[in-house]
Amino acid sequence: MNRALTVARLQFVAWRVVLGWPWGILALSFLINLALFTAMGENDDFEPTTGGLLSIYIVMFIASISAITQDFPFAIGLGLSRRSFYLGNVLQFAAQAVVYAAVLYLLAIVEEATDGWGVNLRFFGLPFLLVENPVLRFLGFAIPFLLLGFIGIAIALVFKRWRVNGLLTLGTVALGGIGGLAVLATWRGWWSAIGGWFVDQPNWALLVGWPALVTVVLAAVSYLVIRRATP
Amino acid sequence: MSAVVTVTDLTKRYRTVTALDRVSFSLTENRIYGLLGRNGAGKTTLMQLLTAQNFATSGEISVFGQHPYENERVLSRISFIKESQTYPSGLRVMHVLRAAGLVYPGWDEEYAQRLADVFQLPRERHVTKLSRGMLSALGIVVGLASRAPLTFFDEPYLGLDAVSRQLFYDHLLADYTEHPRTIVLSTHLIDEVSDLIEYVLLIDRGRLLLDVDAEALRGQVVTVSGPVAGVDEFVRTGTELHRVLLGGTARATVRGDFGAAARDRARSLGLDLEASSLQDIVVRLTTSTNGHAAGAGSATANKEATR
Repeated sequence: MNRALTVARLQFVAWRVVLGWPWGILALSFLINLALFTAMGENDDFEPTTGGLLSIYIVMFIASISAITQDFPFAIGLGLSRRSFYLGNVLQFAAQAVVYAAVLYLLAIVEEATDGWGVNLRFFGLPFLLVENPVLRFLGFAIPFLLLGFIGIAIALVFKRWRVNGLLTLGTVALGGIGGLAVLATWRGWWSAIGGWFVDQPNWALLVGWPALVTVVLAAVSYLVIRRATP
Repeated sequence: MSAVVTVTDLTKRYRTVTALDRVSFSLTENRIYGLLGRNGAGKTTLMQLLTAQNFATSGEISVFGQHPYENERVLSRISFIKESQTYPSGLRVMHVLRAAGLVYPGWDEEYAQRLADVFQLPRERHVTKLSRGMLSALGIVVGLASRAPLTFFDEPYLGLDAVSRQLFYDHLLADYTEHPRTIVLSTHLIDEVSDLIEYVLLIDRGRLLLDVDAEALRGQVVTVSGPVAGVDEFVRTGTELHRVLLGGTARATVRGDFGAAARDRARSLGLDLEASSLQDIVVRLTTSTNGHAAGAGSATANKEATR
């Protein structure tokens, strides 16, 4: 466990880079949106909603991939075990997810209090993330970080362990599997039932429950893959 | 005199090549080993297996008495500096040194800073922007300052100028004297390190050809030159590795058990006898079919094969 903490600290030696990219790009995206909608000066009925918040999730997704392609060979080269690296990496990523989600939540509250930064802008408080329960609302910000992060980790690990052929195989299997299911659903006329299932799901399950389950499965599979991966 | 590393019948096969073929040896505490061999001989593979960076096909590995795979107790006592090491983009030289300081229990920060000055490493520069030589120097600084009880240097000098290489050898020896540890130096520049290494491990095509004390090896291989008849007579007492003919005179590299008596015999045959350099020995052994025979424990000479 000590060594896992060392790995987590290791990934923050260049902390300006680690923090700078996600928040820098998010800030840029926010300022552009704010400037744009201030300049437009529409009347009070207009409530612009933007997807600029997505930028921080994309940056963190990319960061999770480079943790495997770049930090993993470095950590193994320094004589850390795969287990320590994985635990440490997960730890630091989860810590970032929690803190970032808290900051985003806070900004969403500020956004509401200031009537959308004075111009009715909805940048942080996206409608589909809006739930009453504060815990769920926080998780709604945090879980997407983790889900995207572990998707990135899993894909990068397939590449690390089985190289390009592994990625191509994964792509082929995914395409064949999803395509096959789509064909099957169309043939048997399941689409309305599938749509109904999604509608029937409670808000918390779609926002938090199912993504969390997928995240946990990916985390477990990734651990098995990294145990035999070579830097 | 305890064994730091023990390897038994270690084999590593990739799809089409056998990188290591039933290699067995052990490394004794507090010695400098030269791991020698041609490109693709299996040196890097061997070090990757010993540090659990790669997986063996078969055979036993014991490092500090245990298998190194996922073994924090063992891995934290190893430093493996390899020429092909990559660094995360965005890291500067100072970040790499800080990272190494976090990981290695024996890290000496003051010594690392001193070495970084010696090799004129710019602390603020991004690692991705370092020249090949500076990248090597960074590896050397990390490897020396880690003070790991078992330190591997895999061709650490790539792109380094002669002055920096000499600085590396000098600092390695000085620090080794002060802080004895087991060092494995994999290198092509055999003549440069021949004074440094105490023990020789020679690998060729995945097989261990030599596992011998460097001083003893120097006495075992000699070069005799003189009239062909005299040379022919002399080499019957050993294994001929190589021969050059120049008119009526021959110059032969011979491996055997040569003491003072051999020296007298050479003189009486009218031959010049000199000890071969370590580099000569390695070249002759890896290019000679007799070298393999000798490495496999056979003493029978097959002179025709070398001509």
